[in-house]
Amino acid sequence: MTESAPFDLLGADILTTLVFLPSIGGLLLALVPGNAKNAIRAVGLLFSGATLAVSALLLQRFDPRVVGIESFLVDRHWIPRFGIRYLMGIDGLSLSLILLTTVLSVCVLLVACGQKIDRWKGYVAAFLFLETGMLGSLVALDAILFYVFWEVMLIPMYFIIGIWGGKRRIYATMKFVLFTLAGSLLMLVGILFLGGVHAQATHFQSFSLLDWIPAAASGAWHLSIRQENFLFWAFALAFLVKVPLFPLHTWLPDAHVEAPTGGSVILAGVLLKLGTYGLLRFALPLFPGATFRFTPFIAALALIGIVYGAWVAAAQKDMKKLVAYSSVSHLALVVLGIVAGNAAAISGAMFQMIGHGLTTGLLFLLVGVLYERRHTREMSDYGGVATHVPVTTTLFVIAALGSVGLPGLNGFVGEFLILGGVFQRSVVWCAIASTGLILGAIYLLTLVQKVFWGPDRNSANRGLTDINGWELAGALPLVAGIVWFGVAPAPLLNLVRTSADFVVQIAHLRMVP
Amino acid sequence: MTLNLTSADLAAVGPEIVLSVFGLLLVLLDAFARPLRPAFPYVALAGLFGANWAGHYLGGTFFSKAIEASDLTRFVDLAAISAATLAVLGGAALLERDRKNQGEFYALLLWSTAGLTLMVKGSDLLVVFIGLEMMSFGLYVLAAWYRETAESVESAMKYFLVGAVASAFLLFGVATVYGRVGSTNLIAIREAALGHSLLLDPLLSAGLLAIVAALSFKIALVPFHSWAPDVYQGMTTPAVTFLSTAPKAAAMVVMVRILGALAPNGLGDPWQPLLGILAVASILFGNIVALSQRDVKRMLAYSGIAQMGYAAIALATFNSDAFEGLLVFLAGYILTNAAAFLSSAVLSAGEKEAHSLSDLAGMGRRRPFAATILSLSMVSLAGFPPTVGFIGKFLVFRSAIAAGLMPLALVGILGSLISVGFYFRVIYYLWMKEPGHEVEIPEEDPLAGAAYVLVAAGILLLGVMPRPLLEIARAAAASVSFGPLR
Repeated sequence: MTESAPFDLLGADILTTLVFLPSIGGLLLALVPGNAKNAIRAVGLLFSGATLAVSALLLQRFDPRVVGIESFLVDRHWIPRFGIRYLMGIDGLSLSLILLTTVLSVCVLLVACGQKIDRWKGYVAAFLFLETGMLGSLVALDAILFYVFWEVMLIPMYFIIGIWGGKRRIYATMKFVLFTLAGSLLMLVGILFLGGVHAQATHFQSFSLLDWIPAAASGAWHLSIRQENFLFWAFALAFLVKVPLFPLHTWLPDAHVEAPTGGSVILAGVLLKLGTYGLLRFALPLFPGATFRFTPFIAALALIGIVYGAWVAAAQKDMKKLVAYSSVSHLALVVLGIVAGNAAAISGAMFQMIGHGLTTGLLFLLVGVLYERRHTREMSDYGGVATHVPVTTTLFVIAALGSVGLPGLNGFVGEFLILGGVFQRSVVWCAIASTGLILGAIYLLTLVQKVFWGPDRNSANRGLTDINGWELAGALPLVAGIVWFGVAPAPLLNLVRTSADFVVQIAHLRMVP
Repeated sequence: MTLNLTSADLAAVGPEIVLSVFGLLLVLLDAFARPLRPAFPYVALAGLFGANWAGHYLGGTFFSKAIEASDLTRFVDLAAISAATLAVLGGAALLERDRKNQGEFYALLLWSTAGLTLMVKGSDLLVVFIGLEMMSFGLYVLAAWYRETAESVESAMKYFLVGAVASAFLLFGVATVYGRVGSTNLIAIREAALGHSLLLDPLLSAGLLAIVAALSFKIALVPFHSWAPDVYQGMTTPAVTFLSTAPKAAAMVVMVRILGALAPNGLGDPWQPLLGILAVASILFGNIVALSQRDVKRMLAYSGIAQMGYAAIALATFNSDAFEGLLVFLAGYILTNAAAFLSSAVLSAGEKEAHSLSDLAGMGRRRPFAATILSLSMVSLAGFPPTVGFIGKFLVFRSAIAAGLMPLALVGILGSLISVGFYFRVIYYLWMKEPGHEVEIPEEDPLAGAAYVLVAAGILLLGVMPRPLLEIARAAAASVSFGPLR
């Protein structure tokens, strides 16, 4: 595509449309008066719904057999002086995460329609801008463009936790911003340094992954070991903070507990995945040598994270904190799959990224439904509520079983693939990781038992109303995904398989000694 | 020497002439047509537009090589005129409310702007000195504009005394350079320096040190910063809007020009480490001390010290890449800082009151428009994309890393991280904190509204599409020739 080509919004520039459609809705909201609740709802649902439709169109046109990240390529000059381009493209991995993002964004707004939310206009606008940031990060192929979207996500999330959060929201949101920013600023240094290295090695200024990945694979950069190690960590730390990998995880429980329901859903559903996405898209293909050198170290942290996260989750009394720590454990398993480095483990990790987004998103959503009615997240305040809220209970049990890895639901497929791949790499890793999964079954089923079954002691729960129509509309797509990908995982696996093979192929060029 | 004025000479100082004439006009109008006072802001704006219109002069040297006009001076003209325009737009209503809208205010602002652009055009150190004095005299008086409040008088006294010391330093430095080179003309100095490195000469080094110190006073780099917080706090907001932006930027540009003349073969030891130390000290000191401030204006003073620290990274990098980045950074800083001061003024009870952070609580609901602008400027100062603040920082860090100055870039990153602590605190007060007590704030007025729309559009548009700014900055940067790229 040439510089001056006109914008073809649903053709060549469909990715531009996808990314900026939500924020156009966000800007439009500025014109809507704050008390016009229905109009605000309409704008929010219309624009997130339209974005979902665009992403569905992408899926329909996407050819999963195409190797590489150049599908739907958009390539325009942005800052030509420094070789910075407005470069976007996707592969199966990013497409599956895009669909997860657009679905979750609609769900979050649907659920919010059924709940009482103060400063409603700002809430909807923040989620729309956040969607632009997330989608932009998923499609950007220029490192600077990626960085811009990566940082843009921070600001709406800062507001979402800071305005609509719980009691300690200010502490939580500041911690979230500082942790993430520390990582990403270091990544910016890494990007700038690598840009200089690339310009020196090839006499061509570029921040494009399409130039960087081949250069890295062919060893054209001539990086010293020290330089490669520095660069690897400059990128990897930004992503591992976001995942978050033990011991960088401490911001997550705070952020999750304080965030409003929608914030938690998006945080667990999409933002954490962007960390693992970054590892797969940047850290691994660009620095395969360093990845190989540090694999035992990262794997050790991931194994600690799996067991530690599960162990701490089992000790929680607060439902949200429990689900938050379960995320630490589950995402550590994804990281383990990524560094295991074979096709099975990596495609399992990719599958599990989607699966975890659906199950944990649904868990947070349903905890939010209970919290909305009772204003407590303590498990001991509930008990035997299944009789009062049968629909919520059913959905929660499905989410919990999906998360635990019951065959027939999506968690099983991802975990099984990862463990199978990890087993090929190391039996010890596989054994330790499996204990985490067993603990996972214990704490999630305990949660279900304490909250939904058991004696109905607390009289405050008597008047508990079941999930309402809006909330149900937001929850059902996630339930459908959990069941569908458990029964028929093949479509999703086909979508990510080529991406996984691609990563493995690049990695093996340099990683395998 | 015979004075031989040509029309090209006059055209080269066209903006200065227009600004001075309009300044005189305003003083006369105030004396003879006092009822017209509400119209004075528009007269001042007309003068600024006229100066901008007169800014399409040819490049070259004029007035027997005492003035050098180039893309660089046009860039600074535009920056200074923008800063003054924002000060007038945003300040007119405040001044009128307090009955402080005498014509002299606008006259001094225009004259100060003229001095500033003259200083940058000067290719003779004496012209630079005269320009600096002309710029500063206006600001000394503007600092004392609310002369019945103690803070304002304190502010003016401090600024005047520090300014006098800085002037003395500058004159001493100029005299020393003259004593060694035999000329005060930058072109002649450059030619002399090309022959053999002047920077190794102890006498000349002392002179240059004095000049760097004098300009550092104006820029408020650590350790020459101590006046800034008190002066900012006591000075009326429209005046601070100008003082905290354009003069700092101009002094930076002058510093680059003088260093470029004295070190045409590139900056080496000990000057590069010295400038690096100024940068590091300013970034760390400014950001850390700003964390503990509870007054918006004082916080912005320390933030300004840190921001100039980032700019000094480009100074230490000292090549045309870095200079280009510096110009973009400075343009972004002017826009963003002006936005911050103007919007915080509207959100406070009045110019005679403290601009306490806690008074901002709940303003997100009461004044969403101004609160959005203030938040946007905080995000831009912190260097988040997609704002112009990010572009500037990005270019400065980029050139430093490309020149092998990784430690300076890392300090800059560390500073940015610290700065989130206080920039985001403002956003926290605006949107997330319930007000403890009701603060009476005045109505918003249309002129200030125009200023907001301008700055907000500038901050965002230049952040998303920085190309036009980069192109004029690149042309401007080419006006100073640096030594071989390191």
